[in-house]
Amino acid sequence: MSTETETAAEERASRSLLDRLRASPFLSELLSNRLAVFGLTLIVTMAVMAVYARLFLDPEALAHTELGTNPSLAGPCGDPTVLGALQNFASCQFPFGTDLQARDLFLRTVYGAWLAMKYGTIIVVASTTFGVGLGIIAAYYGGWIDNVIMRTMDVLLAFPSLLLALALVAIFGVGLWKAVIALTLVYTPRFARVVRGAALKVLEDEYIDATEALGARDGRVLLRHVLPNSLAPITVQSTLNFGLAIIDLAALSFLGFGAQAGTPSWGLMLTNGVDNGLLTGQWWWSFFPGLFLAVTVLGFNLLGDGMRDALDPRMRETVD
Amino acid sequence: MISKRYIVKRLLLLIPVLLGVATLVFSILQLSPGNPARVIAGERASEAAVREIERRLGLNDPIWVQYGRFLWDLLHLDLGESYVYRRGQPVAGLLRWKFPITMELAVFGQLAGILFGIPIGIISAVKQDSLTDHLSRFGALTGISVPIFWSGPLLILLFSVTLGWFPTSTRIGSEYTAPQVTGLLTVDTLLLGQYEAFISAVHHLFLPSLVIGVYSMALISRMMRSSMLEVIRKDYIRTARAKGQGAKITLMKHGFRNALIPVVTVIGIQFGSLLGGAVLTETVFAIPGVGKLLVTVIQDGDYPVVQGIVLVFAVVFTLVNLLVDLTYSYLDPRIEQ
Repeated sequence: MSTETETAAEERASRSLLDRLRASPFLSELLSNRLAVFGLTLIVTMAVMAVYARLFLDPEALAHTELGTNPSLAGPCGDPTVLGALQNFASCQFPFGTDLQARDLFLRTVYGAWLAMKYGTIIVVASTTFGVGLGIIAAYYGGWIDNVIMRTMDVLLAFPSLLLALALVAIFGVGLWKAVIALTLVYTPRFARVVRGAALKVLEDEYIDATEALGARDGRVLLRHVLPNSLAPITVQSTLNFGLAIIDLAALSFLGFGAQAGTPSWGLMLTNGVDNGLLTGQWWWSFFPGLFLAVTVLGFNLLGDGMRDALDPRMRETVD
Repeated sequence: MISKRYIVKRLLLLIPVLLGVATLVFSILQLSPGNPARVIAGERASEAAVREIERRLGLNDPIWVQYGRFLWDLLHLDLGESYVYRRGQPVAGLLRWKFPITMELAVFGQLAGILFGIPIGIISAVKQDSLTDHLSRFGALTGISVPIFWSGPLLILLFSVTLGWFPTSTRIGSEYTAPQVTGLLTVDTLLLGQYEAFISAVHHLFLPSLVIGVYSMALISRMMRSSMLEVIRKDYIRTARAKGQGAKITLMKHGFRNALIPVVTVIGIQFGSLLGGAVLTETVFAIPGVGKLLVTVIQDGDYPVVQGIVLVFAVVFTLVNLLVDLTYSYLDPRIEQ
């Protein structure tokens, strides 16, 4: 009898972390979803690029303009046609070409990954935190507190998201950080609504009554029981909104309300592509920054979608 | 059937939301930096002139007086006067001709989304787990990931600049004068029987609608697929098949019609983000609608116009959402409970 339990314990210990992760139904479901794994790969690639850019690229140097060259003619690898660019690829100084100010578009696009990841994370973490706080408080206390919080959220949700962001930008003024604050406010209500729903479900469970009967204070019940048990929908919501946040931030920069001239942000690079390169055919000004933006967002959408399918057994049965 | 009580209840619930929207819009002017009177008078105007404008606009009144006046004016559809863009012109009159331009773009975009999204979703569901299915699902996720301000320029570069198939911007060929009856060019040209101008208007609308409609297309095809998959497993489908009805007829008569219900919701909800997308699409394609105007007036600090546009967008969005909910409960009466 005792030897049997010992071997069982040994087996448990020898099981690698990966095996244990595989044992979780959520993760095994997620990892068997090829599209979700592909999405994760895209995100990791972008994250690595972002870290590289942060460590080895100097934003000051990227804003620097080299005068005296004729930049507008230099396409990717020195050729303004797609085929030419591909042929010259082996011996290539500027794989993505240069922009109107003769700046290396490749390095600027790579640095854009750092900006997108950094500010995307800030928006998602901040709006998740506020949304989780508001949602859990609304669900736990109910009554007028619930009403005040959720009706305010309803009003914010009555605006299309980019429009609310623009209205807030009109109030706050122009700038990358102001755009980040505006988008945080735009995304908070979505989290509040999801979290409130999830928390209400948790609060119905009997163990919450038991905890309260044992004398646990509000804060403890909320943090130790309601929050951990609502984590799954929160994570899915965060992942799906990460992509949206990156697009919306780039959109604000594109419209001229976010990142300001000189910043190597994808949105701003696309402004240059549309304002200066559209009718004269400098396709690389729009193509590369937009491609990186779309690929990043696709990564988050693929992963988030897979997570939602893995979490919701009803979806799994009917859809897959 | 849908009960009157439910409609009344939903309409009453609309009041606090709209009041909240109005309050938020009111605060745009109150919280924004700078003195509106100074903006109107111009940089070089005398202090006395600025004071006079402040007095005329009642900017020195207590805030609740200004708030009351704002709401009162709103009830009379008075959105104030433009400061900068068209100085002294009523905002409501300005939006009267700008808003249809945006609505037309949004409606055509949504049409593109429906026309492509629904068939793609059905095929995807019927051929579940086939290559077509995987491609269309991946395509849908790509569709919601591609920003308008990327797909727009690329399509212009390819189809307008390189191939010359479509015009790059504006709404109608320069040889036509845009008629103004409703403000919707495609409707106006047809009303007046100017068929060539109509063709030109649709030709101009094609690329922008496609760009703005991709997002709807993606969401509609996804919802159509999962809804269809759910429906075709239902007992009544098996019953219909068991009594000898053909697969295609069953699919269309019983499957499609029931599967459409949640798709209607997506179509409605999507309309809101279409209005947001209009800002970007109009900027890329140089279409002179409210979306492009909004960007201009935010840059200029023309706050009454900003307020007017944001308010109209939010009200339309809210009303469309209400309409969607009511349609939904009409199609599926269980929703009311």
